[in-house]
Amino acid sequence: MENNLDFKNAKERIEHIEDVLSSVAAGDLDKRLQTDIEDDLTGIEEAINILIEDLTYELKQSKKMKEELEDKLNKIQEQQKTIVQQQEDLLELSSPVTKVWDNVLILPVIGTLDSQRTQIMMENLLQKIVETGCTIAILDITGVPTVDTQVANHLLKTVTAARLLGADCIISGISPAIAQTIVHLGIDLSSIKTKATLQDAMLFAMKKNNQLFEGKIHLEHKEQEEDDK
Amino acid sequence: MQEIISDKNWNKLGIYPIVDEHDIVKVRSIVRQHAKDFRMGIVEQTRITTAISELLRNMYNYANGGDVVIESGDIEEHNALIITCIDKGPGIENVELAMSDGYTSGMGMGYGLPGAKRLVDKFEIYSEPQKGTTVRIMKWK
Repeated sequence: MENNLDFKNAKERIEHIEDVLSSVAAGDLDKRLQTDIEDDLTGIEEAINILIEDLTYELKQSKKMKEELEDKLNKIQEQQKTIVQQQEDLLELSSPVTKVWDNVLILPVIGTLDSQRTQIMMENLLQKIVETGCTIAILDITGVPTVDTQVANHLLKTVTAARLLGADCIISGISPAIAQTIVHLGIDLSSIKTKATLQDAMLFAMKKNNQLFEGKIHLEHKEQEEDDK
Repeated sequence: MQEIISDKNWNKLGIYPIVDEHDIVKVRSIVRQHAKDFRMGIVEQTRITTAISELLRNMYNYANGGDVVIESGDIEEHNALIITCIDKGPGIENVELAMSDGYTSGMGMGYGLPGAKRLVDKFEIYSEPQKGTTVRIMKWK
C-alpha cells in the first residue's frame, strides 16, 4: 500500500524533523520540512512548519516592539534631560532683578518660593544692589499664590540682608487674602515696608528718591555756602 | 491627646505621598482645588492652603516626608474638608510647647503649628516620640 509508512524511510524523515527542530531551536528560522510526500507523517510535518512560521512571526513582532520601546525610552530620557535643563534655566529666569529708575531695583517674584529659589533670588538681589549701588529695592510678590511662614521667613531674611548692604526693601503685591492669612499665622512683618500694589511701591520709591536727592542737593548747596564763607 | 482615626462615613478624596519639595507644591494646589470645589471664597482657600503648606513643610523638614489623606465629611453639622497629615518621623516630645507661638525646634519662625491651627476651623494633633505625628485639620465654608 502506498500510504503505509516505509520504516526505513520514516526513520530518515524523523531524523530530518529532529534536525530541523534543533536548527530552529538554535535560532535558524529559515529551515522548513519538505511535505511533498503524502502519508501519516505529513500532518506532523505541516504542523511543525506552521509552528515555525508562527514562531518567526512572533519573534519578529517582539523584536519590533523591543525596538519601539527602546526608541520611546530614548525619547523619554531626552525629555527628562530637557526638563532638568529647563528647571535650571527657570531658576535663573525666575528671579530677574531690574533697575527701573534711578536708585530703584525691582524683583518680581512669580510662583512658588522653595528654598533653592529663594537662595538664588537673594543672591541675585544682593549682587545687583552692590553692582548698581541702588538704595531702594521693590520685591513684588503679586505672583506668589501662597505665603506661609517659610516664605515669610525668607522674605524677612532677604530684606535684612539687603539692609545690611544699605538698601531698603519694599514688598508689594500682598493680596487681601494673603494679608489676612499672614495676620492669622501670627507673623510680624511690621519691620518691613509693605505696599498693596507695585504702583504704590513705585510711588513710594520715587518720593523717597526725591527726598534723597533734594536732600543731597540741599546738602551740597549748604556745603558750598560754607565754602564760600 | 487622642489617637486620630478616620470616620468610616467620610468620603475619601485622595491620598498623596510627600517625598520632595515638589510634592508640597503639588498637594497644596490639589488642596486649593478641593477648597474651590467646596465653594470656599478666596480668603478661605488661601487659609486652608497656607495651613496645609505649614504642615507639609514640617513633615518634609522634620519627618522626612509622609502621607496626606484628603477627605470630606460631616463635622459638627458642617460639610467639611478634612486633611490628615501622617508621618513616621521622630514625633514631638512636648506637643503643648510645639503648639505655642514662637517656639521652634529647628530653623523656622515658630508659627507653623499654632498658625495653622488659627487658620482652620478644627485642629487635632497626635504625636508619639520615635513613632511619628498625625495632624488633622478641618475646614468648612
